[in-house]
Amino acid sequence: MYHVLMKNTTVTDLNRNLLVETIRSITEILIWGDQNDSSVFDFFLEKNMFVFFLNILQQKSGRYICGQLLQTLNMLFENINHETSLYYLLSNNHVNSIIIHKFDFSDEEIMGYYICFLKTLSVKLNNHTVHFFYNEHTNDFALYTEAIKFFNHPEHMVRVAVRNITLNIYKVNNQPMLHYIRDKTAVPYFSNLVWFIGIHIIELDKCVQTDEDSLPQLISPQFISLPSIHLSPPIHLSLPIHLSLPHSSLSPPFISPLPIHLSLPHSSLSPPFILLLHSSLSPHSSLSPIHLSPHSSLPPHSSLFPFISLSPFISSLPIHLSIPHSSLSPFISLSPFISLSPHSSLSPFISLPHFISLPHSSLSPPFISLSPFISLSPISSISLSLQLISPPFLHPPETLEKSLEINRQRGRKKFQKRPNYKNLGEDGEEEKGPDDEIEMVIMEKSKAENSMFCVTEQNTTDEEKSAAAGAQDSQNRLFLDMVYNTLECTENDYFALFVLCLLYAMSHNTGIDPVKLEKIQLSLHTSKENLTYSHVLVEKLIRIMSQATQIDGKVRLATLELACLLLKQLVMVDRDCIIKDIHLACLEGAREESVHLLRHSYKNKPLNVEHLMMDESILLPPTGTPLTGIEFVKRLPCGDVERTRRAIRVFFMLRSLSLQLRKEPETQLPLTREEDLIKTDDVLDLNNSDLIACSVVTKDGEQVQRFLAVDIYQMSLVEPDSKRLGWGVVKFAGLLQDMQVTGVEDDSRALNITIHKPASTPHSMPFPILQATFIFSDHIRCIIAKQRLAKGRIQARRMKMQKISALLDLPVQPSTEVMGFGHPFQSTSQHLPFRFYEQSRRGLSDVTVQHSVFSSVDKVPGFAVAQCINQPDVSSSASSPPSSSSSSGSTGHCDSVTASLTSTPSTIQSPSDDASVSDLTQLALHSHIEPSNECARTKRSSIKIPDMEIANLAPSLTPAPQPTISLISSENTDPLSVESLTLVPPVDSNSIHTYSCIFQVPLESECSNGTEDETGDCTIVTNFSVQ
Amino acid sequence: MEAIWLYQFRLIVIGDSTVGKSCLIRRFTEGRFAQVSDPTVGVDFFSRLVEIEPGKRIKLQIWDTAGQERFRSITRAYYRNSVGGLLLFDITNRRSFQNVHEWLEEAKAHVQPYQIVFVLVGHKCDLDTQRQVTRHEADKLATAYGMRYIETSARDAINVEKAFTDLTRDIYELVRKGEINIQEGWEGVKSGFVPNVVHSSEEVIKSDRRCLC
Repeated sequence: MYHVLMKNTTVTDLNRNLLVETIRSITEILIWGDQNDSSVFDFFLEKNMFVFFLNILQQKSGRYICGQLLQTLNMLFENINHETSLYYLLSNNHVNSIIIHKFDFSDEEIMGYYICFLKTLSVKLNNHTVHFFYNEHTNDFALYTEAIKFFNHPEHMVRVAVRNITLNIYKVNNQPMLHYIRDKTAVPYFSNLVWFIGIHIIELDKCVQTDEDSLPQLISPQFISLPSIHLSPPIHLSLPIHLSLPHSSLSPPFISPLPIHLSLPHSSLSPPFILLLHSSLSPHSSLSPIHLSPHSSLPPHSSLFPFISLSPFISSLPIHLSIPHSSLSPFISLSPFISLSPHSSLSPFISLPHFISLPHSSLSPPFISLSPFISLSPISSISLSLQLISPPFLHPPETLEKSLEINRQRGRKKFQKRPNYKNLGEDGEEEKGPDDEIEMVIMEKSKAENSMFCVTEQNTTDEEKSAAAGAQDSQNRLFLDMVYNTLECTENDYFALFVLCLLYAMSHNTGIDPVKLEKIQLSLHTSKENLTYSHVLVEKLIRIMSQATQIDGKVRLATLELACLLLKQLVMVDRDCIIKDIHLACLEGAREESVHLLRHSYKNKPLNVEHLMMDESILLPPTGTPLTGIEFVKRLPCGDVERTRRAIRVFFMLRSLSLQLRKEPETQLPLTREEDLIKTDDVLDLNNSDLIACSVVTKDGEQVQRFLAVDIYQMSLVEPDSKRLGWGVVKFAGLLQDMQVTGVEDDSRALNITIHKPASTPHSMPFPILQATFIFSDHIRCIIAKQRLAKGRIQARRMKMQKISALLDLPVQPSTEVMGFGHPFQSTSQHLPFRFYEQSRRGLSDVTVQHSVFSSVDKVPGFAVAQCINQPDVSSSASSPPSSSSSSGSTGHCDSVTASLTSTPSTIQSPSDDASVSDLTQLALHSHIEPSNECARTKRSSIKIPDMEIANLAPSLTPAPQPTISLISSENTDPLSVESLTLVPPVDSNSIHTYSCIFQVPLESECSNGTEDETGDCTIVTNFSVQ
Repeated sequence: MEAIWLYQFRLIVIGDSTVGKSCLIRRFTEGRFAQVSDPTVGVDFFSRLVEIEPGKRIKLQIWDTAGQERFRSITRAYYRNSVGGLLLFDITNRRSFQNVHEWLEEAKAHVQPYQIVFVLVGHKCDLDTQRQVTRHEADKLATAYGMRYIETSARDAINVEKAFTDLTRDIYELVRKGEINIQEGWEGVKSGFVPNVVHSSEEVIKSDRRCLC
C-alpha cells in the first residue's frame, strides 16, 4: 500500500487526467490505513496530500472531479477513527475553505454530496472540534451558515439533512458558538424558516379545507404524507430551543442577555400560527367563520406545548417563565391579523380575538408586558427583514412598539375597524427611534411591577390598557369557556383531543406561573387549603368519559386516556382525593356505563356493521380502515372486533381511574399474578396431589424422568426432592392456557405437548417454551394424563371466566333465581347471566333478540368469550350425559376442590370460607349448565348471594396459593364430558387464547396505564382470525 | 527520493499562542521564514530527516499545535503519541515564560503512561533588545525540570537546527540505552524500513509508472 500511495502522489503531481481515479484510490487506502496501519496516514500527512485536494477543488476541474472529491472527503471523515487524524484533517481551515467553496449547486449530484459532507462534519462536531468550524475572532461559522442556506431546498432529503446539521450543531454545548447562533443567525434563519412553515401550513390548511368539502374517502396517500412533511418543521423548531435552553441555563453569567436571545427564537415560533390563523380565517370568513380556525390552530399548539414544556422542567429559572408565553403569544398576536381581514363581517371575529387574547393576559399577568413584547418580533422580522439582517437587538424595541400599538388599539375600541397590517408595520417603523430603548425600559419596569401586583393585569404604562382591564374580568373566562366548549364532543372528539393536550401541557408546564393555573384551577400542585377544582372542567371531562362509554361514542381511546390523566391530576392532591361526591358519582356512573358497554359486547348484541369513518391521522379527519396503519388509540373503532377491544379498554381505563380516586387497591387485576404462579425450582408439597410419572423427550432428543402435576393454572414437571419425602422440585411450569396437547399416532403411550410463551406482541409468532413428547408407562396413564391436562385447562378457564365476570359485576347469582323458571332449557340457561343483565337494563327480556344474538356468534371475540363458557356445556350436554350426572359430577368435583383447599397447608382461609368459595365457584360455573336440578340450585344460590358480595369486594376469588389440586375424583365421575372436550381442540385453543388476551389487557393497563395495551387487543384479533 | 531512516520520532511543539511555534518548524522543515502567518487552527504536521551521526538518519514527524486556549482539548490528543517535545516561549513575552510550567504540567498529565523528552526553547532571540526573560532564569528553570535550554530565532535561523538535532540526539540515546522502547500501539518511536527493499521496489514501480504513461 505504501507503494501504491507513492504511485498516486506521482500521478497527482503529473497532471489532472487521472485525478479522479487517484483520489478514489487514495481514499480507499487512507481509510484502510486508518484502521490498520498508521504509517499510511503518516505518509498522507508527510506529502500534505490534503492540500492537493484543495488545489484540485480550486481548479474548476469540472463537476465530476468535484463530486468525486466531495464523496472522498465524506468517506474520509466518516470513517476515520483516530482523533488525531481527524483533528489533522479538520485543521488549518482546509475544511472551512471547502465548505465555503462555491460549488455548482444546481447540479443535483454535487448538491447531494455537499450536503452529505456537511452532515458528516456536523456529526463529528463536539465541544472540541467545534473550534475548527467556529472562529470566535472572526465570528465565522461556515458550516452552520452554509447549511442553513438550504433549509428550504425543494429536495426533501436536503431539508432533512439541514435539519440534522442544525440539530447537531445545537447539540454542542459551546457558549460562544450558541451565542453566535443566537445573535447572528437566529433571527434571519428562524424567521425565514417560520415563514416557510407558515406557507406550508397554509397549504396544509387548504388541504384540510378541501378535504372537508370533498368526500373523506378520497384521500390519496399523497395527502397523508403532507402533514408529516409540514409538521416536521415546527418540531424542528422546538427542538433547537429545547436544546439551547439547558445550555443557556447552565451559565449564570449569560442569563442577563438571555431573555432577548431566548425571546428571539421563541417569538419566531409564533408566525406560523399567526399565518395559520390568518390563512384559516380569511378564506373562511366568507363561509362559516370560525369553522376552520380551531382545526388548524389547535393541533400545532398542542403539539408545541409538550415540546416547549420540557425545557422548563430542566430549569426552573424565572427567566424561563417567559418561554411558555412566547408560545402563547400567537393568541395575542392573533388580534392584529383578525383586524386585518377586510371583511365587513368582522363582528364575529372581533369577539374572538378578545376572548382569545384577553384570557391569556389573565393567564399571565406578570408577563403580559413580556408576551406581546415577544409576540411580534417575528412579524417584524418577516415583514421588514426577510432578507435584511439587522442587528437582533433592534427587533425587540421595535416589536415592543407594535405590541404597544396593538394593545392600545385593542384597548381603545372593540368594534372599531383596525388599520391594516401594513399601516401597523409602518407605525412601528416610524416610532422606531432613539426613544425605543426608553420605551423598553418602561416596559421592563411595568413588567416588574406587574409581577409584583398580579391582581391588576395590565396597567401603569398605558391608561388605555387599564381601561380595557375592567372589561377583561368578565372576559377572561371566555377563553376557557371556548376551550371547554370544544370538549363537548358529541360530534366527534376531534377538537377535544387537542384541547386536552393543550390543557395537559399547560398544567404540566412549570413555566406557567402557578398562580395563573390556580386561577383557572388547573394547577398541578394545588395547595392544601385550596381544595377546589374547576368544576366546569371536571364535568366536561366526565362527560367525555361517559361519551366514551356509549356504544357508538366517537371518543377515541387516546382522548379518553388523556381525559383520565387530566382528571386524576386535577383531583389528586398529595394522594388525597378531593373530588366531590357528586363528581365521583358521575364518574362511577361512567364506569358503570363502561361496564355495561363491555357486558354489552360480552353479550354481543348484533351491531350494525356500518363502517365508521376513522381519523386518518390526528390532523386530518378523513376516512380510514385499520389498513391505514394509524394506531388504534387514535382511530375510532371499525367493526365489531375493534369495538369490543375499545370497550374493554375503556372499561379498564375507567376502572383504574375510579379505583385510584377511591384509593382502593387493585385486587382483581391482573387475572393471573406472577406471584401466584409456580416457578421453576419451587419446592412443593406433593403429598396430596396426583403425580403421573413420565419421561419427557425434548425436541433435541434429551430424555428426563419427571412427574407431571396439574395445578389451577399451570402444569408442572417435578422431580422428587432429595431431602423431603413427598415433596418435589419444579423443573418446569407452564400455563395450561398456552398448552396444546396432541396424541402421538403410532405410540399410544405418548403425548405431544407444546406450551407457548405468552405472546408479548400480538404479531409475534407463538414461541414454544416447551415442546416435548411425554412418554408414559402405559396407555392408561397416558389417557389419564391427557384427561387431567384437559380438565385442568377447563378448570383454569373457568376460574378466569369467573374472575372476569366478577370484575364486570356480572350478576351470575341472581340470574338463576330470576331466570331459572319458566324458560326453555337450553337457550335460556346458556345465557342466563346475559339475560339477566339484559333485563336489568331494559326491564324487558326479548327472547328473539337473544336468539338473534346467539346466531351471530361467530363474528365477535366478545362472543368468543361467551362461547368458551358455553362450549363445554354444549358439548357435554350434546354428548348426552344426563344433566343429573353432570351435576353430580360437578358436586363431586366441588368436593374435591374443597378438600384440596383445606388440605393444602398454605391455605389460610377457614374451611367454611373455602367451602363457600369453592361452592360459589361451582355455582358460577355450573349454574347455567343445567336447570334440571332447580331446587338444589335455588337453595344453593340463596345461600350464596352474600358470598357473591364478598367475592366481588374481597379478593377471595383470586387464586389462593394452592400449589396442587387433585382433580382425580371429578375425572373419575365425569370422564365422558372431559373426553368430549378434548375432542374439540379448536374451540379449546380459541377460548384459551381469548383468556390470555383478556388478562393481558389488564396486565398492561395496570403496568403502563393502558398506553401500550395494543397487545391485548391484537390478541383478540388474532384469536378472532383463528376463529 | 524517500530517504532511509533508522528511527522515526514523533515530536510535538507546544507553547503559548504567538510564541512562534509554526515559524520555528517552518524554518526547520522548509528552510524559510514567513513574515506573516495565520494562527494555527488545530494542528499541523511536518516532517524532516535529520542525520545525527553519519549514516544514521532519523525521521522526525513534528506536530505543530495551536497555542490558543480553545484548541487545548484538541492538542491534548497529540501528547500521547509523542516521544519528544519542544516547549517554546517568547523571550520578549514574560507571560509566555510564566506559562511554561502549565504547559509542562499539561503535557505530563496527558502523556501517561509514556514518557516525553522536552527541551525548553526561548524563541525570538533575535529580538534581544526587547528581551523580558533572561537567559539565566530560563536556564535555571530548565535545569529545575531537568531539560535543556536553548535560544533560537526562526527569522535569523539561529540554533533552529541545533534545537531539533539536540533533542533528537537525546531521544536517540535514550532509545539506544533501552530507556525508551518501541511499543506496539505507540507511535512516539518507530524503527525504520530496511533500506534495500524499499529502494528496489520503488524502482520497479517507477518503471511501471513510466510505461503506463
